[in-house]
Amino acid sequence: MPVIELSYSRLQKLIGKVSKKQISDSLPFLGLDIESEDKDLVRIEYSPNRPDYSTDFGIALGLQGLLGKKTGAVKLVVKKSNKYQISVKPQVSKIRPYVTGIVAKNGKIDDKTIKQLMVMQEDLHFGIGRKRKKSSIGIHDLDKITFPLVYTTTNQNHNFVPLNSDKELTITEILSNTDVGKDYGNILENSSHMPLILDANQKTVSFPPIINAAVTTVTPKTKNLFVEVTGINKADAEDMLSVVATILQTAGFSLESVQISGAKNSSPRLEQKKMIVSSSLVNQTLGLDLNTSKIISSLKKSRLDAISKGKNIVCTIPPYRFDIFGEMDLVEEVALGYGIQNLEPTLSPSQTIGQTSPISVVLKSLSLIMTGLGYHEALNSSLTSKRVLYEMTNRNTSKIISVLDSKSQEHTILRDSILPGLLENLSKNIHESYPQKLFETGTVFSLDNPISEKINFSCVSAHQDSNFTEIKSILQSALNTGFNMKIETKTATHPTFEAGRCANVVVSGKSIGIIGEINSKIIENYKIRVPVVAFEISLSESILKSL
Amino acid sequence: MSQVFHEIEKKIIASLKDVQKQTPEMLEKSTSLSPDQVRRGIEWLKLKDLAIVNESTSSILTLGKNGKESLELGLPERRLLNLLKDGPKKLSELQKELGPIFGPAMGLCKKNNWIESSSEQLSSLSIPAELPGEKTIKQIRTEKLSKDKVDANDLASLLRRPDFIVEEVIKNKEISLTDLAKSIKLSESTGAIDVEAKVPEVFVARTHPLKDTIDEIREIFVTLGFSEINGNMTQPSFWNFDALFTPQDHPARELQDTFYLDKISAKKIGTSEQIRRVSDSHKKNWRYQWDINEARKMVLRTHTTCVTIKHLAENKPDEARVFSLGRVFRNEKVSYKHLVEFNQIEGVVVGKNATLRDLMGIQREFYKRIGITKIKFWPTFFPYTEPSLQTMVYNERLGKWVELFGMGIFRPEVTKPLGINKPVLAWGGGIERIAMLKYGLDDVREFYNNNLGWLRSATKCQ
Repeated sequence: MPVIELSYSRLQKLIGKVSKKQISDSLPFLGLDIESEDKDLVRIEYSPNRPDYSTDFGIALGLQGLLGKKTGAVKLVVKKSNKYQISVKPQVSKIRPYVTGIVAKNGKIDDKTIKQLMVMQEDLHFGIGRKRKKSSIGIHDLDKITFPLVYTTTNQNHNFVPLNSDKELTITEILSNTDVGKDYGNILENSSHMPLILDANQKTVSFPPIINAAVTTVTPKTKNLFVEVTGINKADAEDMLSVVATILQTAGFSLESVQISGAKNSSPRLEQKKMIVSSSLVNQTLGLDLNTSKIISSLKKSRLDAISKGKNIVCTIPPYRFDIFGEMDLVEEVALGYGIQNLEPTLSPSQTIGQTSPISVVLKSLSLIMTGLGYHEALNSSLTSKRVLYEMTNRNTSKIISVLDSKSQEHTILRDSILPGLLENLSKNIHESYPQKLFETGTVFSLDNPISEKINFSCVSAHQDSNFTEIKSILQSALNTGFNMKIETKTATHPTFEAGRCANVVVSGKSIGIIGEINSKIIENYKIRVPVVAFEISLSESILKSL
Repeated sequence: MSQVFHEIEKKIIASLKDVQKQTPEMLEKSTSLSPDQVRRGIEWLKLKDLAIVNESTSSILTLGKNGKESLELGLPERRLLNLLKDGPKKLSELQKELGPIFGPAMGLCKKNNWIESSSEQLSSLSIPAELPGEKTIKQIRTEKLSKDKVDANDLASLLRRPDFIVEEVIKNKEISLTDLAKSIKLSESTGAIDVEAKVPEVFVARTHPLKDTIDEIREIFVTLGFSEINGNMTQPSFWNFDALFTPQDHPARELQDTFYLDKISAKKIGTSEQIRRVSDSHKKNWRYQWDINEARKMVLRTHTTCVTIKHLAENKPDEARVFSLGRVFRNEKVSYKHLVEFNQIEGVVVGKNATLRDLMGIQREFYKRIGITKIKFWPTFFPYTEPSLQTMVYNERLGKWVELFGMGIFRPEVTKPLGINKPVLAWGGGIERIAMLKYGLDDVREFYNNNLGWLRSATKCQ
């Protein structure tokens, strides 16, 4: 989840008359986790469903509500204007069809505000923008742009001076030589035509979703902003714009509309939604008995508007709250406004009788038997490496199940056997006293429509005098004592075991596993200095079969 | 101090009472113990302040190569003088007779004025009855002899000459009893053993400490009326993500967060109605083209919620309390606080009157039973629950609040398409975190290291 850094003193200015402690006590009840604090600075983690919390402006709106400083929905005041127009050419339809935008005027932009806006932009790009694929934002210095604009396409030879550069680059150069070009160029799928926003003087404003032009860079001298959002889905682009518009208005800008026309585009809406929630659903879900006025005041603390209509409550939801899908989302808003800390946990009487699963019962009794026989329980990962599973134990690798792109070399394939992990454990414990006796029960995997999962049981005994008789009597005693099961051992060969000292474990005529003395070369591979005996059997095909 | 003696100690004490000062070699003879037994016995007695060990050094002399030759044939100078006893002899004749010793022998005799030489021959002047060194050689003979037993002057002449005498410095131990030991009456301690002595350590075979915590948690939920269900670790994306309302382009579904199985897809992922209704819910709410091939991709489950939701979709209970417990996977870098594979517990309560406060109450009761009483609830976000909460528990050792279980009520967008019509309270979380609190560990990897030193000694601290 994204983390941002805020300053308490700046938040205090934005919220109005509030102590630092009130802020730090309230942040968690907005759903924001405090990661760390250092004097005036606080690092918080927010959920990606609330991109408005990517800036202190958005968090201040939330805290105002929770602390009762300002409640109810934030209303966007957008002055209608026909000075700012974008016409959309049909050729963008194939590549990035939608654009929307807004103008924000007369704001104060200091370095901290620029930093906040940039963090918001990046978080929006990552979250709802899905790494700029679905939608992306450009924020520009309005006064460097001459309207009307045109959203069109160009070929790869088009050139302009991009942001953070001082010389003209062609589209091809931007895509192959700049970091953003390399990171996001694939979104455009190597199309021969690239989306572009040009101003009335044919000057490049933006090459979405890759980079803006250097000429429109926002600096502390900037007074007026132009924001454009492009994307592949109109509704997502509008959602993104609503967050930016709300934050800019909170930051002190006054908003003016941008008219968009052509190729199925139309002027931005930034509309509030109406949604109904019943007080009975609220009370039933939360386990409370709140009257409608309490529910309404709670919703208002969550910065929504609400009025009662019989037993129902009609809510008005500002456009930036597109995380609200339905009634249950409103129930949560009531809970947040009411205060989670005010919800007293209750223990309703149990109407059911609990039961451990039969598999857990068997595995637990097997564990107890094995510890009774002097064996320590080990736990190894199901995800392991080719080295441990096959190379060290000399086993056949024909049916490996691999995972894609593991970040850890030690965790790349699913185990089809438990024994190699136990041998690896012995290898890592050669400095500990002997005898060393370990067992493990766990899931093993095999390819089968698409994958079958079975539970195996494996055991190793390592000491100077370990031998076949010892390990066979352990297996025999364990299965006989715990499960009244008789085993036979029939001569077999297995790459991990010594020839002539290895057998299949047979129950009712069917082989369920392997037992014997570990091959001396394999013991050497693991650098173990004492003989090792072992077995591995499938529980799924024996003890767990009937469950 | 224990007054119980080992047989070895008793024999040594008894012998030293007879002969008060003895070397280890003497003790070997007097007690018939092996050198090693004597050495150990002396050490034990010394530790108990019963024996005094005086250490000194002395020199032992033996004859070297030239000394042995002289013992047999006489000193080189004696042999020369013997040849001259019957009158002068020619130099060449003497040289032939005596070989390499002729030169040094002649030099020595001349220096002592025992002989005189003319141009061609040697003749004797006086022949002493005993030459310097002869006495010592006869004394040592083929034995080892203590240096203080020979005439120091006579020895000195030989020590200056090469390889006549070999001198060996040896350490001597002389053992005697302390006053305390002298008063011991050995007859009184017959049959007793040293009950205060240290013994070798043996290790109890044990179930795995993490398994113990898992079992404890399982038991607690069973006693709270929950029944356990099992499910696969490998799951189609449909049950791990789609059924839980996670859009197909959600960042959590990317390769860098989730383990996808290489080239493995499930043919059957659910009933056609389940697939249709789940995909409709995605299309309507998330506005994108839902792709069944994405839902078929097999993943290692990222949570056990997939097991619970599948169980509910198949059984559609009106009332239920079930939980599942098992391994889950995240494609993360392994560190002291992250594993790629860890255990999770996930539970649900289904019932028409189930409330968020009930959910909080179950959590509080659970924590109470594992010994955690300082808890609070904070709001949080999960894609498939609304409202959603997380529990924070106070870790006394770290002195801070740490996040434990997540919980919430399944969204209607999750339950309705699967035909589940009653509210479902759901909660879940990692078990290793609780086990770390219990065993006072700061590194979660310890649970899977299978380090015998730790497995043999781990004890719970909370």
